[in-house]
Amino acid sequence: MRQGTCCECELTTSIRSFYGFNGRTYCEPCVWKASREAKEKGEPSEYVSLTDNSVCARCGVSSGETSEHPLVGKLPLCATCAPQVANWPYPVWLKASLAALMILLAFALMHGRKYFHAGRTMYIGERLVEESHYAEALPFLQETLRIAPQSDKAVLLTAKAALKSGDIESANQAFQGHSGGHFEDGNDSDFLEVKSIWDRAIAAAEKADKAEKLGREEGHAAEAAQLMHEAATSYPEAPGLAAYAEYFDEGAAFERKDYDTFLSIAQKLWKNHPDAQTSATVSSAFACKYAVTGEIAYRKQAEEMLRSAEQQTQGNAEAGKSYQEYAERIHYRLDTRQIIDKPEYDRKFRSGQSKK
Amino acid sequence: MFFIPGPIIAFVTFPGVIVHEAGHLFFCKLFKLQVYDVCFFRFGNPAGYVVHEKSENFTAMFFVSMGPFFANTLLCVLFCSAAFLPIWELKVEDPIAYFYYWLGLSIGMHAFPSTVDLSNLWAAAPDLARRGNVLAIVSLPIAAVLYVLNLARFVWADLGYGIAVGILGPIALFRALAR
Repeated sequence: MRQGTCCECELTTSIRSFYGFNGRTYCEPCVWKASREAKEKGEPSEYVSLTDNSVCARCGVSSGETSEHPLVGKLPLCATCAPQVANWPYPVWLKASLAALMILLAFALMHGRKYFHAGRTMYIGERLVEESHYAEALPFLQETLRIAPQSDKAVLLTAKAALKSGDIESANQAFQGHSGGHFEDGNDSDFLEVKSIWDRAIAAAEKADKAEKLGREEGHAAEAAQLMHEAATSYPEAPGLAAYAEYFDEGAAFERKDYDTFLSIAQKLWKNHPDAQTSATVSSAFACKYAVTGEIAYRKQAEEMLRSAEQQTQGNAEAGKSYQEYAERIHYRLDTRQIIDKPEYDRKFRSGQSKK
Repeated sequence: MFFIPGPIIAFVTFPGVIVHEAGHLFFCKLFKLQVYDVCFFRFGNPAGYVVHEKSENFTAMFFVSMGPFFANTLLCVLFCSAAFLPIWELKVEDPIAYFYYWLGLSIGMHAFPSTVDLSNLWAAAPDLARRGNVLAIVSLPIAAVLYVLNLARFVWADLGYGIAVGILGPIALFRALAR
C-alpha cells in the first residue's frame, strides 16, 4: 500500500486518503481549506481524490509495493475483479427468479383467459349499451355473467340491456344470480337507474297480467284493452305490450260489435305477424262482416283466410288444435250469419263435450 | 398520511426492488458499461443499487436510468391485467388473482428511477436537446415529472403510481381490445 504525506500538515498515511490540488498532495481537512481559499481568490477550486494503483479499487487487495494493478477505465482492478467489472455476471438465483417470473406471467395470462373473455364481452356490451344497442348488447353481457354472476357492473349492465329491450325475464335472471338481487351500494347511480326501469317494467307487467285475466272474462274486453294500453305506455321498451294492446283492442271492437274496426285491427296484426292465429282472426272478422251485410265477397274472403290459416298449422299440433276450435265457430258464423262469442258457443254446443 | 419505514415497504414489495436492479444491470451490460457493485436487495436505504461507470453516451445513460422504469411499468401492467378483471370488474373470488396483484403492484411501485439517475439525465439532456437529440428532448419532461414524483415518495407517490398503472393500464388495454 502506497503512503502519502500532506504538504500542509505533513500527515503520513495511505495515498487513498489524500487529494490532489494544484499538483500538490493534501489530506482531507487541508484540501478543504486550500480549496476554500482558492475559491475566495476566484481561482480554480476543484480537487480530486488520489488513487493507489497498487490497491484494487473494488476489493482492496494489494499488488505489493513495487507493482500496480492494471487500470480498467480509470480504476485499478485486480485480476479477479477486472473481468467481473467488465462483464458483471447475472447471479444464478437471479436468472432462476426471472425465469420463474416469466413462467408466472405466462401462467397468469393463461389463468386469466376466462376473465379476459368475460371482460372483453362486458366491455363490448357496455359500449353497445352506451350506443343504445340494447338487444345486441344482451348476449355479450349474459356471456360475462356466465363467468362472473356476482359482478355488480355486469349485472346492472345486463339488467339495463334486458329491460331496455323489453326482456324482463333476462333482467330477473341477472338479478337472481347476483345474491338474489342484493346490491351493497343502494345509492349507486347505475343501480338507481336500473331500479327505476325495473320498477316501471314490473308495474307494467302487473297491469298486463291483470289485463290478460280480464280479457278472458266476458264483457271486460274494453277494460282489458285500456289496462294493456296503460302497460304499453308506461313500459314502451316492450314492443310486445303494444302488440298485445292492439290484440285487446280487437277483442273490445268485437265485443261492442264494431266489426269494421275489428277487421281493420285484425288485418294490421296479420300484416305484422302473418301466422295461423292472425289469419284465422282476419277470417273471423270477414265472417262477422258477412253475417252483418250478407255480402258474399266477405264470405269468400273469410273462407280464403281460413284455408290460409289451416295451411300454416301443418306440422304444428298445438296450432292445429287451436285452429280446429276456431274454424268450427267461423263455419257456424258463415252458415248461420249469427255472431256469438266463444263462451256462448261453448254453452250452446260444447257443454256436453266438456262434461265428457 | 401514515408512516411506514422504508425497509418494511421494501421487504413487502421486494420483487419490485430485484426487478428494478436487474433492469439497471441488464442495460449496463447491454451498453457494455463497467459495473463495480450490485445489490439486488438489502434492508437499508437504498434497498438495492447498481454502481456502474458513468457513460458519456446519452443513449446508454437514458436506458440505464430509465430502462427499469419502463420494464417495471410494463410488468406491472401485465401482472395487474391478469388480476384487474377478476378483482375489480368481475368480483370473482380468486386468491391467485390477489397474488398477481401484489406482484404487479410491488413491481410497479419500484418503477421510479433514483433521483441520482434523474439528476444525471437532467444535467446532460438540455445541451443535447438544443442540438436536436430526440431522446434528450423526450427525456426532459419525463425526467422532470419523475423527479417530482420521486420527491413525493413520502406521500406514497410510488404506491400511487403502481396502483394507477395497475388499474388504468388494464382498463385502457381491455377497452382498446374490446373495440
